[in-house]
Amino acid sequence: MRATALSRRFGRHQALSEVELTLDTGQVLGLLGPNGAGKSTCLRLLAGVLAPSSGRIEILGTDLARQPRLAKRRIGYLPERPPLHPELRVDEYLRFCARLRGIPRERINASLDAAKHRCGLDRAGRQLVGTLSKGYQQRLGIAQAIIHRPRVLILDEPTEGLDPYQIRALRALIRDLAHECGIILSSHILPEVQAVCDRVMILHQGRVRYDGYPAADHNPHLWRIRLGDPEQGERLQALDSLDQVSPLDEARYRVVLKDGASAADLARELVAAGVDLHELHPERSDLERVFFDLTGAEEST
Amino acid sequence: MIRTLFTRELLGGAVTPLPWVLLGGAQIVLAWIFLQVLEEVAGLDAATRQHSLTLELTLNLFGFTAVILMFAAPLMGARMLSAELRDGRFALLASAPIGSGEIVLGKYLGLWALLSPLCLLPALNLLLLVGAAPLDAGQIAAATLGLWLVAGLFAAVAIHASTLSTQPTSATLAAFAVLLLLSVIGRAEQFVDGSLSLFGWLTWNEHLFWFLLGAVRLSDLAYFALFSAVFLALAQRRLDNRRLA
Repeated sequence: MRATALSRRFGRHQALSEVELTLDTGQVLGLLGPNGAGKSTCLRLLAGVLAPSSGRIEILGTDLARQPRLAKRRIGYLPERPPLHPELRVDEYLRFCARLRGIPRERINASLDAAKHRCGLDRAGRQLVGTLSKGYQQRLGIAQAIIHRPRVLILDEPTEGLDPYQIRALRALIRDLAHECGIILSSHILPEVQAVCDRVMILHQGRVRYDGYPAADHNPHLWRIRLGDPEQGERLQALDSLDQVSPLDEARYRVVLKDGASAADLARELVAAGVDLHELHPERSDLERVFFDLTGAEEST
Repeated sequence: MIRTLFTRELLGGAVTPLPWVLLGGAQIVLAWIFLQVLEEVAGLDAATRQHSLTLELTLNLFGFTAVILMFAAPLMGARMLSAELRDGRFALLASAPIGSGEIVLGKYLGLWALLSPLCLLPALNLLLLVGAAPLDAGQIAAATLGLWLVAGLFAAVAIHASTLSTQPTSATLAAFAVLLLLSVIGRAEQFVDGSLSLFGWLTWNEHLFWFLLGAVRLSDLAYFALFSAVFLALAQRRLDNRRLA
C-alpha cells in the first residue's frame, strides 16, 4: 500500500496533512498518537470509508479512488467499534461478510472456517454475536476483516477495552497474520505499538512527526544517570563498566556501557564508589522522545 | 450484492418485533372497519346503496392501510441506515467492494418486502367474503397493486430520510414529515387557481384513489416509479456525500 500526500479537511478543520505512507507485505506498521491526532481519519481514508481531500492511495498498484471495488477487495478493515450485527449468530454474520466481500459461493464455508480458526472462534459459530464477550467481539471483528484474505489489514485501536490476557492473544494473532499481509494498526499506547510493530509512525495534529523502526533506533547500552551530589560526577569516569560519560547538566549524565557490561554491573560499581545515585534508567529512543514530548504537550494543555 | 443486502435486511427486520406488532395492530383495526362497513351496507336496501360493496370495502380498508404504512415505513426504515451510521456498523458496507447505489437498492428492496405483508392484509380480509357476496376481483387486485406501490414510495422516502441523520428518531420524524407533506399538498389546490392541477398531481392519495376505483392508469404507475426513483437517487447522493463531506 502506498499513500501519497494524503490530506483530509472537515470544514475548516484540517484533520490530516500531507501524510506519506508505504506498507509492505509482512510489515506491521503502528500508527501512534494522542487522541485527536488524526489516526482514525487516516485509517478510514486508507480503508476507503472516507474520501481524501487531496492525495492518492494505491493498493498493489490499484488506485483506491478510481477502482474502488478492485482495491477494496484487497483491504480488510476493523474500525474502532467492530461493525457487528448483535441479532445474528457468528456463522451467519461471517457468511454475510463473506458475501459482501465477493467471495464465491463455493468458497464461503472454507473461508469462514479458516477465519474462525485463526481468530479462535471455532466453538462460537452458533452463538449470538450480541452475547459474546468484548474480547470475542473483537476477535469476530478481526475475523470479518480477514475472511477474504486481504493483502492489507487495517486495525483501528484493536486492543481497546481488552484485558491483558486478551491483549497478549491478540498480539500473537497480529504477528501470525503479518506473514501473509501488511498490517496497519493504530493505538495511543506506546508499549502496545512497540510490542507488536516493526515500524512506527507518530501522528500529531494531522502531521507525521516520526516514521522509523523502533528496534533500530534503540541502543541498549545507552543509559541516563542522575546523582544526588553534582560534585561526585568525576567519579563516573573511573568506573570499569562505562565506555563514555557525557554530562547533560550538573547532576545528569548520559553514559554508554562497555560491551558485555550490564546495568546491574553499573549499579554495583556506583554503590561501591559511594555515589549518591538518584536515578538510573535506559536512554529513551527517538520514538519514545517524540512520543513523550507530544503526550507531555497534550497533558500540559 | 443487492440480493445479499436484501436478504440481510429482510431477515434482520423479521426478527425484530416491530413488523409483527404493526401487522397485528393493523389487522385488529382492519377487522373492526371491515365489520363496520359490512353492517352499514347490510342495513341499507338495494335502492339506497350508492356504491358497490367492493368499492365501500376497498376505499375504507385500503385507505386505512395506506395510513398505517405512513407510520410503518419511517419506523422500519430508520434502522436501515440511520441506526447503522450511529452504531458504526455502516463501516462494514463502506469498506466492502460495493457501490452506494447497491447499498441503497438492497436496503430499499428489503424494506419494501417487509412492508408487503401489510399491503396484502386488506385483500386477505376480503377473502372472507368469497362465496358470500359478489366481489370485483379485478378491483381488489388493482387496489392491492396501488397499495403496494404506495408502500414502495414510502419505503424510498424512509430510506432517504434514514441517510439524513445518525439519529433514528430524527430520521423517522423527517420521513414522516415528508410523507405528511406529500399527503396534504393536494389541498393547496383550493387556495390557487382551480385550473392548476400540479399540487393535486404531487399528492400520493390522488393516485392511489384511481387504483382503489379499479383503474390502473399509466400516469399513476409513472408517478410512483418516478417519485420512488427520485428519493432513492437522493439517498444514494447523500451516502456519496458522506464519504466526501
